[in-house]
Amino acid sequence: MRARQWAVIVVIYVVGGAVGALALWALTHGLEPLFTPARGTAFYLAVAAAVALWGFGTFLVHRLPATAKRRIIILATFAAGIFYPLEFYLPARSGIFFWRTSHTNPFSPMMLTVGNAVLVIYGFTFFLGAFSLSLVHAKNVAARRRGYYNSIAFFVAFIAMAVFGLWQNYAPADQMLFKHFLWIRSLTVQQVHGYLFNDMYVPLGATLFSVLAFYMATAAYRAFRVRSAEASFMMVAAFLVMLGQVPLGMWLTHNLPQAGWLSGLRMENIAAWILGVFSMAGLRAVAFGILVGGLAMSLRIWLNLERGAFFEQEL
Amino acid sequence: MSLEHANFLHIAIVGIISVIILYTILSARGGKQLFIRRIPGLAAIDEAVGRATEMGRPMLFSTGLSSVDIYTLQALAIAQHVARLAARYGNRLIVPVVDPVVFAIAEQLVREAYASEGKAEAFHSEDVRFLSGEQFPYAAGVMGLINREQVASTFFFGYFYAESLLLAESGQEVGAIQIAGTPATTQIPFFLASCDYTIIGDEYWAASAYLTREPTLLGSLVGQDIGKALLLLMVVIGTATAVPGMPLHFVYGWLARWLFGG
Repeated sequence: MRARQWAVIVVIYVVGGAVGALALWALTHGLEPLFTPARGTAFYLAVAAAVALWGFGTFLVHRLPATAKRRIIILATFAAGIFYPLEFYLPARSGIFFWRTSHTNPFSPMMLTVGNAVLVIYGFTFFLGAFSLSLVHAKNVAARRRGYYNSIAFFVAFIAMAVFGLWQNYAPADQMLFKHFLWIRSLTVQQVHGYLFNDMYVPLGATLFSVLAFYMATAAYRAFRVRSAEASFMMVAAFLVMLGQVPLGMWLTHNLPQAGWLSGLRMENIAAWILGVFSMAGLRAVAFGILVGGLAMSLRIWLNLERGAFFEQEL
Repeated sequence: MSLEHANFLHIAIVGIISVIILYTILSARGGKQLFIRRIPGLAAIDEAVGRATEMGRPMLFSTGLSSVDIYTLQALAIAQHVARLAARYGNRLIVPVVDPVVFAIAEQLVREAYASEGKAEAFHSEDVRFLSGEQFPYAAGVMGLINREQVASTFFFGYFYAESLLLAESGQEVGAIQIAGTPATTQIPFFLASCDYTIIGDEYWAASAYLTREPTLLGSLVGQDIGKALLLLMVVIGTATAVPGMPLHFVYGWLARWLFGG
């Protein structure tokens, strides 16, 4: 790698660290009001200021050349990614926090604020998802594609749930939606929302979940077909574990003693041994691999070692 | 017991493994040749794309149920590779997503993949679609897509929960060739039972290195393997010292006092 690239990397990380330190200082020195809910006029002013700041920031970023944009992404990733490791790896209380009278970790009190900020950013993207979904279904309806009536059902359900979901949050508990409509009498907004959510949405989810039982049977049939030595081994193990979970299996070996070496041959103990020794060892080995791989992936993303960040000629 | 702040052992293990991974990445970038064994599930991706193209039916790629995290980012890296192959062979790749943030990233990645193969016009924006932010509505949406579009190949990469079997069995019903990979250990058996190829454990992380053969990713993979060997060594030493009666058991008390002050 060229010396210039190394210099750029070092500068970016130093600037990233400085930005992080500045944010930390700002959060601990009187900028907390910026991260607490505002009410009344202050709320509207805050929203207007946030929108103006966002617009100005977006305009500036769009004006920047591609290389500068890439460097900003690297900087932001590093600065954002350093917060949680610092909070976790630095001790809860230590002399290294000499500037704090309590000597406590300065990052810990900010966990909630940072978490809320992430949630707010996340909330914006919900509109993107809703827009995408509406666009797909609107095209279905406009072009009268096969099954377009399902798309109409989507819009009806989407609007009904959105309207009553929001309305029930603000409507007084006794506010009637209507007093008489055909044979239906006096429904409150909360009741309508309850019908939609508790009596339609939740049962539909439960119905789909219950389908899992049938799919399990077909998947198990395929998995346990004896086609190879491994499949046979798996089938025998599964059979023993299943037998160890049901009264019939326990009854088969109930004459064996509860203690002593023969107790290991009781069906429930065989099942527990397969699950706790063989299966658990395998699962933990898989978990070790996944966690170490996760660490490597996190490092590559945090330090922007993934493709095209530092090692390409673009920088 | 929850760990609110790291202890010495934690910092030492993560620090040592991180240094090893960074070293192997840099040495791989320096031109060191690294070998990666054949992974059947990943080698089958080409076959799955080719088969779908021959049948003239689209493919489906699900990135799982989690939001933007390392599991989903890895899944998206694989999705981009599949999208590139789909564009090369002139096929459609449908990517239903559960998270609006992932939706924005997935759309951009698939669009770029088609553009990089010179087939930007073949990309249909509605093929990458947000279905729902909830588990079972998402599963119902994907099952519907699999059946309506009669997909020829399905790819399930990412973090899955109870919906894994619903999705994979729907793929089975339409006769799709299915490849899955998940770090969710509770869902691996379901994919093993329902899919033609299942990538398990840290093969999930090897996927992007295997598919791209990029030195950075290959170096990272070697670092991971050394890290795992280190952890295995710790397990052996831990067993040899922690079990009463073992020759090195006296070391255990000394280590525990030194590390945890117990």
